[in-house]
Amino acid sequence: MTEIGTKYLPLKRSENWNRRKRALMTSVIAIILLMVLVVSGFFIGTDGLAVNFDASNSAPSLTHPFGTDWLGRDMFVRTVKGLTLSFWVGLLAAFISALIALLLSLLLVLNKTLDSLVTGLIDLFLGLPHMVTLILISFMLGGGLKGVIIALALTHWPRLARLLRAEIMQIKNTEYITVSRNMGKSWFWIARHHILPHLIPQLIIGFILTFPHAILHEASITFLGFGLSSEQPAIGVILSESMGYLSSGMWWLALFPGLMLLLMVAVFDSLGRNLRNILDPFKGQKG
Amino acid sequence: MYLLLSILLSSCANQDKNKNSAEGGKKDNLILAIGGEPDNGFDPTTGWGQYASPLFQSTLLKYDTDFNVVYDAAIDYRISDDGLNWTVKLRDNIKFSDGKPLTANDVVFTFKTAKNSASVVDLTNLDDVKKIDDFTVQFFLRKRNSTFIHHLISLGIVPEHAYGASYNENPLGSGPYKLVQWDKGQQLIVKANPHYYGKKPFFKKLIFLFLSQDAAFAAAKAGQVDVASVTPALANERINGMKLVALKSVDNRGVVLPFVPKEGKSVDGVPIGNNVTSDIAIRKAMNVGVNREALVNGVLKGYGTPAYTIADHLPWWNSETEIKNDGDVKKAIEILAKAGWIENKDGIREKNGVKAEFTLHYPSNDHTRQSLSIAFADMMKALGIKINVKGKNWNGIEKELHSSAILFGLGSHDPLELYNAFSSKVQGHGLNNPNYYGNEIVDAYFEKALSATSQEQANTFWKKAQWDGKTGFSNKGDAPWVWLVNLDHLFIMRENLIIGPQKLQPHEHDWPITDFIETWHWKD
Repeated sequence: MTEIGTKYLPLKRSENWNRRKRALMTSVIAIILLMVLVVSGFFIGTDGLAVNFDASNSAPSLTHPFGTDWLGRDMFVRTVKGLTLSFWVGLLAAFISALIALLLSLLLVLNKTLDSLVTGLIDLFLGLPHMVTLILISFMLGGGLKGVIIALALTHWPRLARLLRAEIMQIKNTEYITVSRNMGKSWFWIARHHILPHLIPQLIIGFILTFPHAILHEASITFLGFGLSSEQPAIGVILSESMGYLSSGMWWLALFPGLMLLLMVAVFDSLGRNLRNILDPFKGQKG
Repeated sequence: MYLLLSILLSSCANQDKNKNSAEGGKKDNLILAIGGEPDNGFDPTTGWGQYASPLFQSTLLKYDTDFNVVYDAAIDYRISDDGLNWTVKLRDNIKFSDGKPLTANDVVFTFKTAKNSASVVDLTNLDDVKKIDDFTVQFFLRKRNSTFIHHLISLGIVPEHAYGASYNENPLGSGPYKLVQWDKGQQLIVKANPHYYGKKPFFKKLIFLFLSQDAAFAAAKAGQVDVASVTPALANERINGMKLVALKSVDNRGVVLPFVPKEGKSVDGVPIGNNVTSDIAIRKAMNVGVNREALVNGVLKGYGTPAYTIADHLPWWNSETEIKNDGDVKKAIEILAKAGWIENKDGIREKNGVKAEFTLHYPSNDHTRQSLSIAFADMMKALGIKINVKGKNWNGIEKELHSSAILFGLGSHDPLELYNAFSSKVQGHGLNNPNYYGNEIVDAYFEKALSATSQEQANTFWKKAQWDGKTGFSNKGDAPWVWLVNLDHLFIMRENLIIGPQKLQPHEHDWPITDFIETWHWKD
């Protein structure tokens, strides 16, 4: 460890505060932040969502930190509820995406023809503009929560799949795989016992880095009106509603929910990057 | 946005000119951004002008501002004693904007074309229409129908000699204005018709810009349009040199409630009935418990009026149906408790194991209906009725049309709308009577109203159908709907533009404002 440290960190730094520790700290803070966001969404009551005409259109204040909308609903509560929904949509979509990527990339181990099919599919999906495929799939499925999650899951796997394929290609040419093969193990066995464990760090990092993508795309197709329907508490819905009120000067309708969305995405992004530093230090530092 | 930009750019050149003339207030052209570009063009026989005067064409009769029927292209009309035979005499001096005369042939041609068009213009009751002489036309009806007069009021006369497949894009008629140019999705330019037989309009040229509401507001702010339609959210923004005009309307919004219980029946795969809303106590309680004034002030920012029926303040409205003190939660709860709806531990009422819970659908792109739905559902919480609000497009809503509550909007100058919404004969026909309402006594009044020989007589029966002292389709009777509000139609326009008194506006927030456009002028 110290050897590597001196090799990669030529500058003398404090023994107790190296890059790995810093990455760990940041990740922990990021996870705590995310947990606060998500858990608070559960515990926060729906009282703030009640229609209250007396308090409608009020600017941010102590009682309503994010202001209220035209029906007097508290924007803070709406934003937190929206972020919670975004989190679950992102989680599910990223999870399914990662699963698709893993399964498809493992086909490389089993069969050459299948793999060339997968490569073609990856190129096809990467070649199409992301938003167009998203809108098409979501629209075909009739929008709503189901449509959005399936659309996100079906469009976010190619990048990760390509990464995993490269990794597998590398592992496949190592000696211990050849030895294992010569000892009569099946490709399926090898995939499970030699290749999959190597892929886990990449998979976790890829999964977390897909998250912000999925959340942002969910918000954008909802904003464009092809995603979640307008009664759902989603950030995209809040943002598209606020468009009608910007010209009357109600800036808080868009600013705070937008900022919070940005914050959540940024936290996820930094979490992914830091985890890469921890789980996969060599590649992480190069990247 | 792009459109707005291009308009801003193109108008930069003549901005100075506009400004000068606006200050002088004497320019004889107007730029309007009231929206409402018709999808099917300007052909009256397929629906153009059903809600407003058709601008390019003239009609046989028309309403004045108080809904009295006055002559337009006709000078006389007579109905035979059996009500099946209508004779209309035309003015003999009308010319189309191309200079050719309008005769009985054109009227016959118009009604025959409209009858065969299978469009929103429903002339199935018209058996035949014949020319008697050059300026007299006779209509033969299949059944007595007092609302037939609405067709004479709303159907613009098209010229037989200039009618073709592209007429909807090149309309030609005998109305106050004639088409100069229509750039689809952008603008419509019209010029005064030199051959118009009525009052010569002050404004020689009108330009209608088809902008989004936001873009129209921005254009008005920049001084580039003279009239623009606005939403309540923007109505309180002050613009220098512009005034806000709020036109009262019967453009109503209400919640239609399935009238029959759910018994597993369906039509074309769409289920019928709802076990909660089929209980009259639930419907009555909601009608009493909703605070309409709060909805008007909260959602519409005060630009509207409480709605009690489908036809508030029209000549066929029964004023007894007005609800004096709604928002009475106590009384609503009393009604529910008396009918056996008891509150459970979640605060939702139950009766015989049925929870007072149902879904309210609204068209998801309509902001006002969304706000009304959310606010209405919220108000009903206090009554122990749980309403789940859902936004869908119309295709999605049509699948729920007969089994869940829908936030509807209606409001027509034709009393036939009452029949279409409440007659048991039209249950589930398209959007007609979507909740399967049916009441024999109401049906009988409808028959009498349709077969009446005069408007006054018909109106008394339309009123009785709403409430005859015992029953009716209004909130006093069976209460199949909860009517919420009538929207004001809001326009911002130049301070010195005078548009005069207007009719109670119908369902559309665009063309009806042009009904009396020939009388518009600048203040002296």
